[in-house]
Amino acid sequence: MLEFAVSAPFDPAADIAAGIIPAQFPWLSLSILFPIVGSLMVPFIPDQGDGRQVRWFALGIALTTFLITVAAYLNGYDPSFSGLQLSERVSWLPNLGLTWAVGADGLSMPLILLTSFITTLAVLAAWPVTFKPKLFFFLMLAMDGGQIAVFAVQDMLLFFLAWELELLPVYLLLAIWGGKKRQYAATKFILYTAGSSLFILLAALAMGFMGGGTPNFEYAVLAQKGFSTSFQLLCYAGLLIAFGVKLPIVPLHTWLPDAHGEATAPVHMLLAGILLKMGGYALMRFNAEMLPDAHAQFAPLLVVLGVVNIIYAALTSFAQRNLKRKIAYSSISHMGFVLIGIGSFSALGTSGAMLQMISHGLIGASLFFLVGATYDRTHTLQLDEMGGVGQKMRIMFALWTVCSLASLALPGMSGFVSELMVFTGFATDEAYTLTFRIVIDGLAAIGVILTPIYLLSMLREIFFGKENAQLASNTNLVDAEPREVYIIGCLLVPIIGIGLYPRLMTDSYRTAIEALVNRDVAAMETISRPTAPMIRNPSLAPALLQAPKLPSPGAT
Amino acid sequence: MPSAADSAWLIPVLPLIGALITGLGLISFNRTINRLRKPVALLLISCVGAAAVISYTILFEQLGGAPPVEHLFVWASAGDFSLPMGYVVDPLAAVMLALVTTVALLVMIYSHGYMAHDKSYVRFFTYLAIFSSSMLGLVVSPNLLEIYVFWELVGMSSYLLVGFWYDRDGAAHAAQKAFVVNRVGDFGLLLGILGLFWATGSFGFQGIADGLATAVSSGVVPGWAALALCLLVFMGPMAKSAQFPLHVWLPDAMEGPTPISALIHAATMVAAGVFLVARLEPLYSQFPSVGVFIAVIGTLTCFLGASIALTQMDLKKGLAYSTVSQLGYMMLAMGCGAPVAGMFHLVTHAFFKAMLFLGSGSVIHAMEDVVGHEPVLAQDMRLMGGLRKKMPITAITFLIGCIAISGIPPLAGFWSKDEILGQAFQAFPLLWVVGFLTAGMTAFYMFRLYFLTFEGEFRGNDEAMQAKLMAAAGKSVDEEHAHHAGSLHESPWSMTLPLVVLAVPSVLVGLLGTPWNSRFAGLLNPEEAMEMAEHFSWGEFLPLAGASVAISVVGISVAVLAYALHRIDLGELVAARFPSVNAFLANKWYLDAINEKLFVRGSRKIAREVLEVDAKVVDGVVNLTGLLTLGSGEGLKYFETGRAQFYALIVFGGVIALVVLFGVLGGPIA
Repeated sequence: MLEFAVSAPFDPAADIAAGIIPAQFPWLSLSILFPIVGSLMVPFIPDQGDGRQVRWFALGIALTTFLITVAAYLNGYDPSFSGLQLSERVSWLPNLGLTWAVGADGLSMPLILLTSFITTLAVLAAWPVTFKPKLFFFLMLAMDGGQIAVFAVQDMLLFFLAWELELLPVYLLLAIWGGKKRQYAATKFILYTAGSSLFILLAALAMGFMGGGTPNFEYAVLAQKGFSTSFQLLCYAGLLIAFGVKLPIVPLHTWLPDAHGEATAPVHMLLAGILLKMGGYALMRFNAEMLPDAHAQFAPLLVVLGVVNIIYAALTSFAQRNLKRKIAYSSISHMGFVLIGIGSFSALGTSGAMLQMISHGLIGASLFFLVGATYDRTHTLQLDEMGGVGQKMRIMFALWTVCSLASLALPGMSGFVSELMVFTGFATDEAYTLTFRIVIDGLAAIGVILTPIYLLSMLREIFFGKENAQLASNTNLVDAEPREVYIIGCLLVPIIGIGLYPRLMTDSYRTAIEALVNRDVAAMETISRPTAPMIRNPSLAPALLQAPKLPSPGAT
Repeated sequence: MPSAADSAWLIPVLPLIGALITGLGLISFNRTINRLRKPVALLLISCVGAAAVISYTILFEQLGGAPPVEHLFVWASAGDFSLPMGYVVDPLAAVMLALVTTVALLVMIYSHGYMAHDKSYVRFFTYLAIFSSSMLGLVVSPNLLEIYVFWELVGMSSYLLVGFWYDRDGAAHAAQKAFVVNRVGDFGLLLGILGLFWATGSFGFQGIADGLATAVSSGVVPGWAALALCLLVFMGPMAKSAQFPLHVWLPDAMEGPTPISALIHAATMVAAGVFLVARLEPLYSQFPSVGVFIAVIGTLTCFLGASIALTQMDLKKGLAYSTVSQLGYMMLAMGCGAPVAGMFHLVTHAFFKAMLFLGSGSVIHAMEDVVGHEPVLAQDMRLMGGLRKKMPITAITFLIGCIAISGIPPLAGFWSKDEILGQAFQAFPLLWVVGFLTAGMTAFYMFRLYFLTFEGEFRGNDEAMQAKLMAAAGKSVDEEHAHHAGSLHESPWSMTLPLVVLAVPSVLVGLLGTPWNSRFAGLLNPEEAMEMAEHFSWGEFLPLAGASVAISVVGISVAVLAYALHRIDLGELVAARFPSVNAFLANKWYLDAINEKLFVRGSRKIAREVLEVDAKVVDGVVNLTGLLTLGSGEGLKYFETGRAQFYALIVFGGVIALVVLFGVLGGPIA
C-alpha cells in the first residue's frame, strides 16, 4: 500500500500543465490486463481437447479487448492534442524507480488499435488449430496484452519488461506449432531478440540513472533530462541495434526469414502485423524523441539503411523459391520505407513512416494469412511445385491478387499513400543536401520496380498457367471458405479506406508527429559540426530553404 | 444553374459502383452471380451509358463556351503540406470523356457477343467497368499526382485483363511484362513528379509550369535539372503510350481478349500518355529541347512500329504494331509543339483503330469455329482469306478502317495525320521525311492485312499449314481442337452493331478538323484555331496533302499488286534478296531478345546472387557467432534438439535477473 501513498506527488493539475491529460477511466490498463486475465482463465474452460470451446472464448476476449481499445480511442483520446493522453500512473516499486505509467499519444494510439485488431483476426485465423489448443490460445491472449503494453507503457523499464514478456509466447508458438525446422528458427529468434534487448536494458538503466537522484524511467522525465551529445550517441547506437533486430534492419534480419518460414499462419500475422512495428515504434519513441541530438547525427545512416533494406530484401525476395520466405523478405523490404521516413526531418516523411507501419501491419498480415491458407491446401510452399492453382481456387486467387496489389503499393490502397508520403517528404526535406536526396529517392524508387517483379511473378507461378497435374491429384484444392474471405475482408476495409482517404488515419497522429519532428529539426539545427556530410552545411541553409516556398496558384 | 460539369465526378464513380456491386457479388456469391449474366451486363452497360450521357452533355456545354470547372478537397496533409484532389472539366477533358465513354460503351456491347461462350463472362464485365472508371478518373484529374494514381489503376486493369485467360502461359507472361514495363515508366514519372514538386511546390499543371519558369529564371533550379525533370516525367508517357524503347509490352498484351485490345490497347489507355503530354503542354512548351526529344522518340517509334508491322503474320500483332506506329505520330505532334494536332489524331485513331480491332475480333471469333480455340491458329492470316463473302459487315467496316488509317481523304485519318505531317514539315523537316515514308508503309501493311484476311481463297482447312504453325509455336496438336469443323459465319448483331457505329466517326470525324475551319482546334485552343484558319492557304496545303495521299496510294498499289492480283512476289523480290533485313523485322528489331537477355535474366541472376550472399555470408556470420558462443563444434546440432530451448530460457532468465539485480543495487547507489 506504500506505493499508493507515494502516488500523491502525481498531481493532475501539474500533469495538464506539463501537457499530459490523465485518464478519466483506466482504459489502457484495462486493455492490457483484460486479455492477460482472460488468458489465465483459459485452462479452466471446459474443452474436449479439440479447441472447439476455447477458440470461441479466445475470440470473445480478443474482440472485447479490441472494443476496449476502440472505446478508449473514442472516449478518451483527442487527436488534436499532441501530448500524452489517457495517462495513468501508479508508483509500483519506487526504490527501483519503477512506475506503472501508461498513456497514449499519436505515436502509440494507432498501433494499440492495430494490435488489438490484428490479434482478433489472428485468433479467428487460428480456428483450425487442434494441437494443444488451450496452450495456443493462452499464448495468443497473453501476447495481446503484452503487445498492447509495449505500445502503451510510459516507463522505460516497464517497456523493457513488456518487450521481453512478449518474446516468450512467440518463442513457444514457434517452437511448438512451427514447421520442420521450428527449433532452429525459434532458438535463433530468441537468441537474436533477447541478446539485442540487453542493449535496451543497458540504455534504460543508463538513461534512468544519469544525472543522479532517484532513478526514474518515465518517458516524460527522461525526455526532459537533456543528455549530453556523446551520451546520447552511445545510447542511440545501443538502441539502434536492439530495435534494428526487431524492425529488422539489414544485416540484422536473418532471424526473420527463419522465424516467418516456420511459423503457422496466425503467428505469422502477429509477427508481421505487430512485432515488426514494435521496432519502428521504439525507434520513434526513444531514438527520435528522447535522443534528438544523436538522432540528428544518425539520421542519414537510418536513411541509407532504409534504402539498403528496400533493394536488398526485394532482390532476395525475388530469388526466393519458398513462398513464406518470399513474403518475409518482402516485409523487410517494406520496412525500409519506415526507416527513411524516421530519418527524414519532415513531418510528411515521418508521418508516412507511421502510416507505412500501420499499412504494412494490415497488408503483411493479410498476405501471411493467405500463405497459410494456401499451404493448408497445397501442402507445399515451393513455388516450383505449384502452378495453375487458380483453376480450382478462384476466390483465393482473387484475394491473393488484391493483397499483392496492395503490397506493391497500388493507388487506392494504404501502401501507396504511405510510400508516397515518405517519397515526397524526403524529396522536399531541406535538411539533406540535394544530391543525397536525389540518390536516395532514386534508389528507393527502384524498389517501386522490383516489388511488382517479385510479387507478380509469384502470382504467376502459383495461379497462372496450366494446372500442375501432380499437385491437383495429390491434394484437395478447395476454394476459400467464408471465414477466410471474412478475415481478408476485415483487413481490406482499412487498407482501402486509408488508401482512399488517408486522413482517416493520419489525422489521428498528426500533431504528435509534428511535435516530434519539430524537436528533431531544432536539434538538427543546433549541431554545429555535423558528422555526416549528407546533412546540409548550416551556412547554406537559407538559400536552400527558399527553394520550395513558391506559391502554387493551382493548388487551391 | 447547376451545369453538368458539376456532376462530372459521377462519370468515374458510376462504373466504379457497378464494378463494386458485381465484384463483391463474385467474391461472396460466386455461382449465383456467374449465372446472372444479362442483369450484370445490363447494370454495367447502363452505368457506363449514364456516364456517357453526362460526358456528352459536358462536351456540348464546353462547345457552347462554358468555362472550365474545378472542384478540389484536401486529400492528405502533414505539417504545412496539403494535397488537394478533385476533378477538373475543361475542353481537353470533355473531349476525352466523350471518347472514352463512347468506345467503352460500344466495346461492352460487343463483349456481350464476343465473350458469350466464356465461363468468366461476369468477371470480364467487372474488369471492364473497373478499367472504364479508372480511365475516366485519369481524364478528369486536376493534378499530376491524381493522374499518377489513376495511371497506376489503368495499369492494374490492363494487367488483370491481359491476364484474363490465366490458364494460358502466354497471357500470364504478357500481363506481368505489361505491368513491369509500365512500372519502369512510372519510376521515372514518380521521380519527375517528386522533383517538380520539390522545385515548384505544386502538383497542378499550370502551377508546375509557372513555378518552374520562375525557379529557372531566378536560378534556384538549374536549367539542366529542370530538363532532367521534364524528361523523367516523360518516361511515364513513354511506357504507357508504347514509345521506343518501352513499347515492348504492347504487342505481347494482345494475349488479352480482343475487346480489351480494342478498348485499352488501341483506343484509350495507350493514348493516356499522349493525353498527359498534352496536359503538360504549358510545361513542355518552355523547353524546346524536350520537344525535340519527344519528337525524335515519336518518329522513331512511328517508323519502328510500321516496319515491324510489314512482316507480321498474326492479325492482332499486325494491328498492335500499327498502334505503336500511330502513337508515334501522336508523340511526334506533341514534340512539334502541336498538341491539338496530336489530340486530334488520338481521337480519330481511337475510332478507326477500335473498329479495326473489333473487326479482327469478329474474324477471330469466326475462325475459332473452324480451327478451334487456339490463338496460334485463329489469329494467323496464313489460315484466313476470302472471309469477305462470309462476313460482309466485318469486311466492309475493316476496309473503311484501312482506308481511314492510310490517310485517304475525306476519311478521318487523312485530316489528322496530314496535320501532324504539316506541323512536322515546319518544325523538323528531317522527321517529316521519316513520317512521310511511314505513311506509305502504313497504307501498305494495312491493305496487306485486309487482302490476306478477306480476299482470295479461304485457307483455314489447310491441315499441313496448321500443323506447321503449331510446330513453330512449340505446341502439340491437340486432338480436341484439331477437328472443330464448324463453318464461317458473320458475327451476331451485338458484335456487328459496334462496328457499324464506329464506322460513322471513322469516316466523318475528320471533317471537324479541316485546317481551314477546325472545330476541334476551336474547342481546345480557340486562338490557335483562329491563327490556323488565317494562315491557311491552299498553296501550302495542297502540295503536302497531295504528297501524303500519293505515297499512301503507292503503298496501297503495292499491296494490291502483291496480295490481291499476285503480280509481284514480295517474298522473292525483297525478303529473299535482303534476308538480314527480313530477319531483323521478323525478330522485331531483336528488342525482345535484348530485353530477355539483359534485364530478365540479368535481374534474376543478381537476385540469386544476393540471396546467396544473404544465406551464406550474412546468415553464416550469425550462425558462426552462435557456434563460437556455445563453444561447440557441433553448435548447430544444439539448435535442432530440444536442449536449445533450455539455453534460451537461461538467457531469458539471466536477463530478468539482471533487471532485478541492477534495480536492487542501482537504487541505493543512485
